[in-house]
Amino acid sequence: MTRISTSWRSRAGAFANGLLTVPALAVYAGLLVVPVGFAVYYSFTDYNGFPSQTPTWVGLDNYERIAQDPIGDLHPSIWVTVAIAIVGTLLVNAAALGLALLLRRTTPFNTVARVVMFYPHVLSALIVGFLWQAILGPQGAVNNVLEGGGQSTLPFLADPQWALATLIGVIVWAQFGVQLVLYLAGLQAVSPQLQESARIDGANGGQVFRHVTWPALAPTVTVTLVTTVLSLLKVYDVVLGLTNGGPGDATQNWAYEILAVSFANNDIGLACAQAVLLVLVAGLLSFTIIALRRRAEEGAEAIG
Amino acid sequence: MTGKRTVRRTVRVAVVAVLSAAMLVPMYIMVVNAFKPQQEILLSPLSLDFATATTDHLKAAWQSTSFPVIEGYAVSLFLVLACNAVAIGTAVPAAYAIARTPKLLFRILLMFFVAGMFVPAQIILVPAIFVLKSLGLMGTLPGLVLFMSATMIPFTLFVFSAYIRMLPRSLDEAAAIDGAGRQRILWTIVFPLMRPIVATAFVLNALGAWNDFVSPQLILGPGSEFRTITTGVYAAVSTYSTNYEIVFPTLLLAVAPILLIFAVMQRHIMGGLSAGAVKG
Repeated sequence: MTRISTSWRSRAGAFANGLLTVPALAVYAGLLVVPVGFAVYYSFTDYNGFPSQTPTWVGLDNYERIAQDPIGDLHPSIWVTVAIAIVGTLLVNAAALGLALLLRRTTPFNTVARVVMFYPHVLSALIVGFLWQAILGPQGAVNNVLEGGGQSTLPFLADPQWALATLIGVIVWAQFGVQLVLYLAGLQAVSPQLQESARIDGANGGQVFRHVTWPALAPTVTVTLVTTVLSLLKVYDVVLGLTNGGPGDATQNWAYEILAVSFANNDIGLACAQAVLLVLVAGLLSFTIIALRRRAEEGAEAIG
Repeated sequence: MTGKRTVRRTVRVAVVAVLSAAMLVPMYIMVVNAFKPQQEILLSPLSLDFATATTDHLKAAWQSTSFPVIEGYAVSLFLVLACNAVAIGTAVPAAYAIARTPKLLFRILLMFFVAGMFVPAQIILVPAIFVLKSLGLMGTLPGLVLFMSATMIPFTLFVFSAYIRMLPRSLDEAAAIDGAGRQRILWTIVFPLMRPIVATAFVLNALGAWNDFVSPQLILGPGSEFRTITTGVYAAVSTYSTNYEIVFPTLLLAVAPILLIFAVMQRHIMGGLSAGAVKG
């Protein structure tokens, strides 16, 4: 008798608790999950976004179009995205970790330096793009200084390869400060006793880093890698401000392709197919990194 | 030994100082050039001649119709507050329920929410527009707030539920025995204890909402009467990107207040970020 009533009560309690999740669930599911479903559905249609037109089922046409790329404008954008995601992630993390090691002690000088490294993050990526465009553009500040000094100008944004490198550089400039803060937080958790005893045992700075600090940072590295890759896969604002995809299509990445090309041309079916692929890639990549990092993190637990 | 250490310290300070200066150069160029006419910007972009410095261009940017500065700030601030109200207001009860119900269904529910952290918001915006259209919310501020809040809920709920799990259960049980209802326990006992993590979520969501460009641009539409800082700057600058008399003063007006807020609040903003990372 008592057992039945407690089980009924716990079930009623769970139901009441379930009600508490309804508002969050409604907003989240309605505006993030349902759109993902819409994206999957539209990706199999030729929908052009006009309310009067009903989407017609075209099967895998949009995906085939992406795979075959008849106009030759989709594949370059994949390479641009991959270059930004891989090179950008490595540079952001290298810069962030290097500076975190330099700035790990909390002195007034270091505190100011941390703030200076971080501030680009409070500026919107679009404004960062416009600002660097005004500095590195053909008529920009740097080239005018070079010209004034009698030197030849540099094609930061005019040459396709330079433009991609410049874009990655600007992204790194704007993003590494965030990861720096995460690395600093991670370094706080590294046991100072362990580092000290390694030093007493005769390890030099490099050895202490390799055998004590770096393994203990493993969970932080996982977080920074995943967050950097996720944010770099979808960069759009900074591209729009800095290069607007140019010169030609040299800096058009996947997100630019979706928003400024397919969506702008009312090619909703194609835009949704591209969006579905990018969501899949983002998810797969995150889980791959998390899975690959698991072993390194187990090492961190053994040390910590 | 000490000599070697001093040398090392000097090198470190020098490297950091040079890098810090490099980080600040773009701000310097922006400030200096906001007070100069186009010809002077092109001839000597790095210096400021106080004899010819003028605030005319700043005034012109201030009065620009495509980027009404004060309204832009008001709309962006409204988005920060409204999105945080919706995201935090819905995530607190949901996270409480998930953290306090040891049932498989609620664990799955948490996973379902967490999966949203891996969905890039601006990528899913295109289909979201059609959802908003069918709800009649396209082109409206409520629609924009709902979409932006939806993108904030996964992270907010995730860190909240992890935090509530660390709070002792005996607190809510004692209150329940005293006859307090669920809502009462939640808002008068649990919520006040969550202050640090709420502050963290608020700061991170605020930065996201403040800097978002794609959502307001596409949901409100370029012809909207509401302009945020970002959509306003885009309207004012994108077509005149080589007219530096417009570019630099506009950018200066757009970033000066947020940099001021950051300078005052930097400890909370950067502290909130690292607190979120440790918990997440």
